[in-house]
Amino acid sequence: MRLLRELSRRKLRTTLTILGITIGIWALVVFSSLANKINSFISTGGDLYAGKIIVTDGEPFGTSPITLSAADDIARLAGVAAVDPQVLVPWEADGTGGGFGIQKLVVGSVPGADKGLGYQLELATGRALTAQDTGDVVVLGSDLAREFGVVAGGTVQIHGRAFQVIGTYLPTLAAPDADAKVPLATAQEMYRALLPPLFADAVVAADIANQFIVYPEEGQDADAIALTIEATVANSVALSGAQFDEVIGGPTLIFNAIIVGVALISLVVGGLSVINTMAMSVTERTREIGIKRAIGGSRRRIVRELVTEAGLIGLIGGLLGVALGAVVVVLANDLGRSSGTVLFDLTPGTALFAIAFGTILGMIAGIVPAWGAARLDPVAALRYE
Amino acid sequence: MNLIEATDLRKTYRLSRRTTVEALLGVDVSIKAGEMVAIMGPSGSGKSTLMHLLGLLHSPDTDDGPKPTLWIDGVDATTLSDRDRTQIRARSMGFVFQSFNLVPTPAAAENVALAAEYAGTSRGAARTAAREALASVGLADRAGHRPMELSGGEQQRVAIARALVNDPKLILGDEPTGNLDSARAVDVLGVLRRINRERGHTVLLVTHDAEVGAACDRVIRMRDGRVIADERVTDMTAVAA
Repeated sequence: MRLLRELSRRKLRTTLTILGITIGIWALVVFSSLANKINSFISTGGDLYAGKIIVTDGEPFGTSPITLSAADDIARLAGVAAVDPQVLVPWEADGTGGGFGIQKLVVGSVPGADKGLGYQLELATGRALTAQDTGDVVVLGSDLAREFGVVAGGTVQIHGRAFQVIGTYLPTLAAPDADAKVPLATAQEMYRALLPPLFADAVVAADIANQFIVYPEEGQDADAIALTIEATVANSVALSGAQFDEVIGGPTLIFNAIIVGVALISLVVGGLSVINTMAMSVTERTREIGIKRAIGGSRRRIVRELVTEAGLIGLIGGLLGVALGAVVVVLANDLGRSSGTVLFDLTPGTALFAIAFGTILGMIAGIVPAWGAARLDPVAALRYE
Repeated sequence: MNLIEATDLRKTYRLSRRTTVEALLGVDVSIKAGEMVAIMGPSGSGKSTLMHLLGLLHSPDTDDGPKPTLWIDGVDATTLSDRDRTQIRARSMGFVFQSFNLVPTPAAAENVALAAEYAGTSRGAARTAAREALASVGLADRAGHRPMELSGGEQQRVAIARALVNDPKLILGDEPTGNLDSARAVDVLGVLRRINRERGHTVLLVTHDAEVGAACDRVIRMRDGRVIADERVTDMTAVAA
């Protein structure tokens, strides 16, 4: 109470200082939430692809695309436990898949082809595809289910066709959230329908496959198998889970560093403004500090009072910054949800860290002026006008 | 027994690289417990400097000359650290200043309680002690007022309550009536005189007001950094002369 009254003595300056911290913490919260989302995407992505080899066309829409028959060639290789051939089709018939977020995809596959080795998605409603399912049936990832507001039993339009939704998945915070799983034959036919007519005539729908998920046997070197696959299947690119981490993880770390760096810079500016405010406050209160020293306030006590005051500025700024950041995150996610692009993930850990960071920043910034105040000669301070 | 026993107190202030002021040129003082003493003299005579030394706000010079001694309540104050001197100020001394020097934001009761907290009293007990101290100077009904909302005389009585709250052995006043009109000055002086008589606090006042000196038991007169007279007050005319 006493402290709040001290702060309210210099309303404008205290407000501006708190505002400085608020903006810094706000930036930290928003950027960290963005980094959280990206990190969880990457780490789930890492789990999704861990120990697997992803084989794709080396030259999309090239002259000799990989075909379903390659699945048998790969399955025959030593050390391969299972091959899950897939057909990936853009969600939109015009080839777009939804901007900056996760690409929305229709994924056709043969249920059970992974022999249970794949990442097991958990169902929110309905059931998963089985080998008996045919035609226009779909199991939607969580983002798609939310975007179109459907659950098992509903229908959803894909490429102008009504698909029966037989199930929806729980969120993974990763790519599968934007996947629509359909039977392989359905995806093959959709893929063919997207090809230019002349080109389509030369393609047999049942031969189409544009991605294989290869599961090595236990203890086999995925990198070595990936190399063998590339040598065996013409025009293929095989990427193991470890390589996935390198390719995606490296740039992500740099990206994280940049955005958190931006937030930290704004906090340094906020911290400097706390130093400035506290230094001015100490100068203004020179006489008061002299009184306190004269009547028996110890140096430690003076430092404690001022550092607590600075910490309170930081705490208020931190709370406001987190609140403001939460508002932005919620609004941005609400806006993004309609297009399936949830960009921010504000975790309790991030919020607590930001509040603690603001408080500690304030306290550290308060130490120098407070120490200066405690060293004042009480008699000189008492005469100060 | 003497509460204060000091010899050879010297103090030179350095105002700039070339200018120094010799404020005290070797002063011996002894104050008995329970006395009420005025230190009088013209401006620049060193009376405030003497009070700052006796109040442990400054330390006497130790170079050039005989080693100063300063015993306060049996403790050798010349060897104390800043922390120990701060402790003694908090627990055994009370200060009353010319310009009241209350902390502007807290209410009167909190100003008084602050001094009790500095002396190590718990917050709750400090509050109780503050109310009692305010009542003893007749300001029980002003406890919740901020300094700005009080008259000069009232502010000075809050300051006296603050000086009293830890029941200190020594109360030091630096021109405590200097900023008050004569009616208020008599009032404040009366309070100081009463607490000295009734509660036995030793009171040491710096003043150039002859009436204040006349109300004390003893007057130490200073000029140019030295004590020139030390006399018991027998009647008012003796002081005024």
